[in-house]
Amino acid sequence: MGARGKTRWFARLAGATALAFGLAACSGGTGADDADNSGGGDSAKEIKVVIAEYSKEHTATFWNAFKKTYEDKTGVKLNLQIISWNDIDQQASTMVQNGNPPDILNLNAYASYAKDGLLYNSDEVLTDSVKSDLIDAFVKSGTYNGKMYGFPDLSSARALFYNKDLFAKAGITAPPKTWDEFVAAAKKVQALGNGTIGYAQPLGPEEAQAEYSIWMFNNGGDWKTDGKWTINSAKNVETLQFLRDLSVKEKVTQNNPGKTNRTDGAFPLFTSGKAGMIVGFGPLQGDLDSKYKNVKYGIAPMPTKDGGAPQTYGVTDYLMAFKKDGNQEAIKKFYELYYSPDQVNTWIKSEGFLPVTKSGLEEFSSDASLKVYLDTLPNIHLTPTDDPAWDKIKLAVQQNLGTAVSPSGDPKKVLDDLQKTAEAGG
Amino acid sequence: MLALIFGVVIYPAIELVRASTGEYSITGLRRGSAGTENYTDVLQHPALGTVLLNTLIWVSAVVAITILLSLGLAQFLSKEFFGRRMVRWAVLVPWAASLVITARLFTLIYDYYHGILNVFLMKLHVIDEPIDWLGDDSWTMPSMIAVGVLVSVPFTAYVLLAGLNAIPDEVHEAARIDGAGPWQAYRRVTFPLLRPALLVSAVLNMIYVFNSFPIIWTLNDRNPGYTHDTTITFMYKLAFKSADRDVGMSAAAGVFNVLLILVAVVLYLRLVKWREEDPT
Repeated sequence: MGARGKTRWFARLAGATALAFGLAACSGGTGADDADNSGGGDSAKEIKVVIAEYSKEHTATFWNAFKKTYEDKTGVKLNLQIISWNDIDQQASTMVQNGNPPDILNLNAYASYAKDGLLYNSDEVLTDSVKSDLIDAFVKSGTYNGKMYGFPDLSSARALFYNKDLFAKAGITAPPKTWDEFVAAAKKVQALGNGTIGYAQPLGPEEAQAEYSIWMFNNGGDWKTDGKWTINSAKNVETLQFLRDLSVKEKVTQNNPGKTNRTDGAFPLFTSGKAGMIVGFGPLQGDLDSKYKNVKYGIAPMPTKDGGAPQTYGVTDYLMAFKKDGNQEAIKKFYELYYSPDQVNTWIKSEGFLPVTKSGLEEFSSDASLKVYLDTLPNIHLTPTDDPAWDKIKLAVQQNLGTAVSPSGDPKKVLDDLQKTAEAGG
Repeated sequence: MLALIFGVVIYPAIELVRASTGEYSITGLRRGSAGTENYTDVLQHPALGTVLLNTLIWVSAVVAITILLSLGLAQFLSKEFFGRRMVRWAVLVPWAASLVITARLFTLIYDYYHGILNVFLMKLHVIDEPIDWLGDDSWTMPSMIAVGVLVSVPFTAYVLLAGLNAIPDEVHEAARIDGAGPWQAYRRVTFPLLRPALLVSAVLNMIYVFNSFPIIWTLNDRNPGYTHDTTITFMYKLAFKSADRDVGMSAAAGVFNVLLILVAVVLYLRLVKWREEDPT
């Protein structure tokens, strides 16, 4: 090849390199966010608030009204962004990575942010009356290293939903109280045939940790015991083995539970009347009451391994605040307004969730349909969100737990791996 | 123009390399330099073998099937027939539609309980019970490849069609006069003249399919672990979804990804003796 040929070859290679880099960079997508640094100086003129979308119908409605009230009251502009749960983790991480975090972020994890020293604690941005109004269980779950950084925005509790029509058809008279009764009931429903499913089990990546937690707690297990990770305890292995048996041995679940997500997989099976039982919560109840009225359902406490007292699994998400020059006052006013009963309770009611304040608990107590949850709320079982390692373990559980319940899955090995991740500090 | 090249190509590349040498906390906060640790972490990742194998299968299957189908389609579209304009437009639809929308549609088509594919095949008695196209491990990859081919065929067919149109009629005529049958004429005359178009479409397809994110992500995001990931979705999971959750490691994987494309393209071009075209 002559000199001319060589240059040309290099030119082409260079061109190809540039093209490849360009394409790779595009698909990698660091996506710099709109770079408005809020305020600076003494007091911020604008704060950026990133909210997770709980529902298409209600989230934007509430927050747009809130934004207006806040702006009228304080004169500070509220830059509102509502982001789907599927993307919010990634967006939040990208904002922090670009050195441009929001002032307030709504997420289900806060401890890693607190550990990195990015957040205000409750002494800095909450008024005393707000602090004393928060339900103790959520104060505890929002506290990292002795200080509270995760401020709960709402909560939910899970319980066993069952289809009354299918139960009647299968000759089941009462919701199951033990795991044996549960399997027996699921078998009877499954035996009705015609695509009917005993138990809709979502162990796909969306929220595997929730589905697993509630069964784990009702077998006397936990993620952490006395400050130590006990993910692969004998009880927990037994629980995961039981969950795997439901699909692999007893065949009372839908196809491939390890690859089924909750909202787009398991819930539709229940709302279409195909599934006999499912673990549900307030928003599912709301959907059943408004959109799927032909499904007659009942709600019962979770069955326990050997008939002991049922444990309730609860979830809360957080509104954390990022430290930035001059934004403290604006943030304080944000929380003061948010936790005022006519705001926080309106929000929680519209989304079908449960309160996070003592005053809210009182206000909601008149609602009979919530009694099954409210009674347990003060003693609710949460995942260890106060440990930064949990943020990582949660991801590992979501990504890997589903592999344990496949026909070739190995529950013990999956839990052993998770325990290793946890002991390595997440 | 220079600014464009800098903004679109060079700056992101620098950012990518910078990120790949940083140590990031799970929140995305940069803590300092990680040296080459991110690179060794990627190389030692337990899922790397699976991911590379998946990528190889995905790229080679989609590109090979796409080109074979497109050769036929281009040949068909180059003939005069009633409604040719319409058909040409119709072929473009899967390509012009947003990939995410197409992929999302296919999650519905492939659905185990309500998907139209299972209903259709069962009505035709091809299968007796539904197949879990996206959940059953042996069907996941073929199902994804089918969608990948569907969205790659239109563009490829059009490149080949342009190539076919560029071949002067006289050449075919000459071949006919020399007594070549249709198959012989295609193999000896048309195909060699189509080679430049074929090369372009193969290389572009390789890069495009290699970097294709929406199809695999949309069809496969409910699968746990890394079982069906290619390098692109692997990078995404490294950065945001898995317990590794590390922007630095993901960027390092991104750099490897670019190198991998380069190597693949160069190897391919060598294989088809690209330089033979260069009369030097």
